Amino acid sequence: VKYAVLVPDAVVVATAVVVLLAGRLGFMPRAAARTVPAVVVVITLIAFGVELWAGATLGTYFGGALVQDRFALFAKAAALLAAAAAIATADWTAEDVLSIGLAMPLLAAFGVMVAASSADIVGLWAGLELAGAAGIVAVSLRRPDLALRLLVAGGIATALFLLGLAFVYATTGNSDLSMIRAVLLHAAPTLPLAIPVALLLAGLALRAGLAPFHIAAVPAELGASPLGAGLVLGLVALAAGIVAMKLAAVLLPVPAVFSTYLSVLAAVAMVGGGAAALAVRSPRPRMAYLATSQIGWVAAGLASHHRAGIAAALFLLGAFAVAAASGPALLGRAEGGEAAIHGLGGLRPARAAGLALAMLSLAGAPPLAGFFGQMAVAAGLAQSGQWGLLSLGVVGSILSVAAVVGTLRVLYIQSPLEESRRGPSALPAVGGFSTLAAVAFCFVIAGYGVLSNPILGLADQGAEALGLR
Amino acid sequence: MLFSVFTATPSPLPTAVPGANIFSSPILLSVTIWVPVIVAAAIAVMPNPRGRYDVLMKQIAFFTNLGLLFIIFVAYNQFQNFLPTMQYEEKQSWLPAIGVTYHLGVDGPGIVMLMLSGLVGIASVLASLGVRERVRSYFALLLLTQAAVNGAIVARDMFVLILFWGAAIVPLALLILGWGGPRRTSAAWRLVGYWGLGTGALVLGTMTLYAATGGTSFDMDTLLKASLSPRIQLAVSVVMIVAAATRLPLFPLHGWVRDVLAEAPVGVTVVVAAAASRLGAFMLLRTVIAAEPSAGHLLSPVLATLAALTVGYAALAALRTSDVRSVGAYLAMVPGGITVLGLAAVSPLGIAGTVLSLFTGGLAAALIAAVCATLAERAQSRSLQVLAGLAARMPNVTWLMIIAALALLGIPLLASYSAEVMVFFGAFKNQPIGAFAVAAGLAVTAIALAVLLSRTLFGAPNPEAPGVSDASLGEVWYLGILAGALLWVGLFPGGPKIPGTDVPLFDPGLISQMAAGLSDMSSPYVSPTPGAAQ
Repeated sequence: VKYAVLVPDAVVVATAVVVLLAGRLGFMPRAAARTVPAVVVVITLIAFGVELWAGATLGTYFGGALVQDRFALFAKAAALLAAAAAIATADWTAEDVLSIGLAMPLLAAFGVMVAASSADIVGLWAGLELAGAAGIVAVSLRRPDLALRLLVAGGIATALFLLGLAFVYATTGNSDLSMIRAVLLHAAPTLPLAIPVALLLAGLALRAGLAPFHIAAVPAELGASPLGAGLVLGLVALAAGIVAMKLAAVLLPVPAVFSTYLSVLAAVAMVGGGAAALAVRSPRPRMAYLATSQIGWVAAGLASHHRAGIAAALFLLGAFAVAAASGPALLGRAEGGEAAIHGLGGLRPARAAGLALAMLSLAGAPPLAGFFGQMAVAAGLAQSGQWGLLSLGVVGSILSVAAVVGTLRVLYIQSPLEESRRGPSALPAVGGFSTLAAVAFCFVIAGYGVLSNPILGLADQGAEALGLR
Repeated sequence: MLFSVFTATPSPLPTAVPGANIFSSPILLSVTIWVPVIVAAAIAVMPNPRGRYDVLMKQIAFFTNLGLLFIIFVAYNQFQNFLPTMQYEEKQSWLPAIGVTYHLGVDGPGIVMLMLSGLVGIASVLASLGVRERVRSYFALLLLTQAAVNGAIVARDMFVLILFWGAAIVPLALLILGWGGPRRTSAAWRLVGYWGLGTGALVLGTMTLYAATGGTSFDMDTLLKASLSPRIQLAVSVVMIVAAATRLPLFPLHGWVRDVLAEAPVGVTVVVAAAASRLGAFMLLRTVIAAEPSAGHLLSPVLATLAALTVGYAALAALRTSDVRSVGAYLAMVPGGITVLGLAAVSPLGIAGTVLSLFTGGLAAALIAAVCATLAERAQSRSLQVLAGLAARMPNVTWLMIIAALALLGIPLLASYSAEVMVFFGAFKNQPIGAFAVAAGLAVTAIALAVLLSRTLFGAPNPEAPGVSDASLGEVWYLGILAGALLWVGLFPGGPKIPGTDVPLFDPGLISQMAAGLSDMSSPYVSPTPGAAQ
């Protein structure tokens, strides 16, 4: 019974391996795209259910290498839900290889799960790398050149991250997160500590696509298949966010060594992401920049170095992951610029509604999940007196909402283009399962906000589990 | 009679409202928010092949609003004006981790705003009967907007207020973008920009209060009743004034008003000019005047200045404009300035005038903007150079435009008269310069109105003008509802009575109902009575 907590992890990995092998051995013809994604989604949702049921049991595993606490429960559940939502809403006619397309989100989710329950810095790194590698593979299916670029950027991120970790290890003499925290409780915020933390954060920002480090991630998101873009946009950023939260909790005794960096990054991301979203018109780039802006809010929550702020950041990260992972998938084949989604609201109402809600949530428009998350972060920032950051966040949100209004106009107000004028892109395919999934996604993204009490409560317990009081 | 209602403290005994409190529902206020949302969602997913069910959708929207108006009227009728507390209150813990409660309730000003919203809702649907394109989307968005406005009115938790305050922006912008006039894109972006700025200011003000009160609750009972330092009161009040000024609007944050009211479809213009924009003054009343008396006193000259600048600017801009819808849009700013002058008066009478002017000003603003829009549509031109001598050919529009003009100026027998009298009587004592400046602005407004009426209605007809037709039945109805409400409250401010008694017939009277809770709001501003200390 004790190991029931690990069942979701095992199920996810096993499913990913089986799907990969089935694809490799030729057991997954193109026609399987009608049924296999549904099966994978059901398995992932079962894993999600098991996580919620068994994950409440606290414990340590493998000699203390993995820890199951409320933080891990929240992060693992968010990863599973985001992966399930992305796979369910994907337009499989727009994906290149079914088996890899199905396996990579699961492996990325597994990476998040490893990082979330890791008790030491090695586990954090391993989880982050796994999620990042899954993203690179997903991008490489369509654009090997961009995958190479992402690989190089990921390598730089890894190098920065490992250098930072090595310095932290050298400074504190420990790789165990709780021990590092214990050492830092009596440490002063010195330059030898601030430098590695800067390297750590730069590596994480590169992975999360946080402005101004988004220059590597955003082109990859734009060139990848819809599901690949969602993976990089949502799940890899989720992994980076989870690692950042665990590190922020460890470094909390010496907030001076990271809060300034994080505040600057958050400010640039929130405002820059919103402004960039307003400047572009194509839905995919707009979504990418909206995600950049919202991940900036997550960073702002961490910069509050306040329990309420970090709990709110965790809550927001969950909402972000679900919306960002599914947004490009909902867009499907309609990725040829703004013209591709003209009148999509009338032609594909369920997908258009899902897309609209995903973008509104990423922008922080009420009454969706992103709004509740951003307001909770704002409350944390207010409590810690970070008025400048809060004001910039509000500006970023206004810009983001304005950007989304532009897309909504195209979705719902513009008339559909004739097929001859639609260009290379096509409408998302109509499928019973994906339509149902799009409707379910709408309920999830609305329910995450309106029924947010237990979710925010769990996030608060997650922040407490990180040692925050 | 008017003065006695507001200068006296409420009677501790129930007034004679027959049947008061017979009707009560634990979810009455939620119904006014969530029923439009549910109907909007239902309309949005209803199949409508080739517009086959367009009429049905209009009927659904109409009867939803009619039902809501009935519910609101019953709530208004059963409202107990002798109670200073919130009524029809709903309170559920929502996000205890950060102190958010789903807390709704109305007091006197709240029930007045809710009545305004109910009337405007039905008028806006009637004004939208001419919509032909994408009918499903239009009415779904309109209902969402109305739900957001109702939610902002009844919210008793600042988080909930922000939620509904901000929730109106996206549907309104889409309504303008989808069904607006030639400059709709500019209008929509201006709306998003200015209202977004206002929402941001509201968030900052709320968070300041939240942090200053310990970060435990967003409930207005906690945030607005806390004892704060004068510095924080001032900071919060300044930010809240910015939020209100973007919404009402007040000069210099009025940049959206001309484009939005002149370019939006008429039904949307009615909602924005009447209920959605009045939320600015309503919020200012709650969060600054009623909650932060020190800052209220300190900032009252600023409010008076803003009021005077708004009225003066609106009147001058209306004089200089040759587009009839833009004239209507500018003139619709005038009641907002008068409302704010009442707040600047920081006196019980001024505050009471403000509450009444929320209702009358909303109706008058909507009426002038809408009647100008109808005139332009029926005369097939918006240019004042083209429109001339229309009175003979548009008798209905002529009458309604005259009523709108009189309502703006506060002529006796119209409800705005009572409101303006109270505002000016309150303001001349405490803000004489501001009151004088606003009165001067009203004089210029009168000139602007006279020019508008004489050019469009009573001049020599323009033989080269396009064909003209009078308002349709639907247009007469929706404009009639707005004008009729102004007349009704003007004639029966205390409600009609059973002959020979003081018992209200069926309407207890807006003046009576709005008094609930007013004495609490204005108690910090009651001047000490000479000899009271002895």
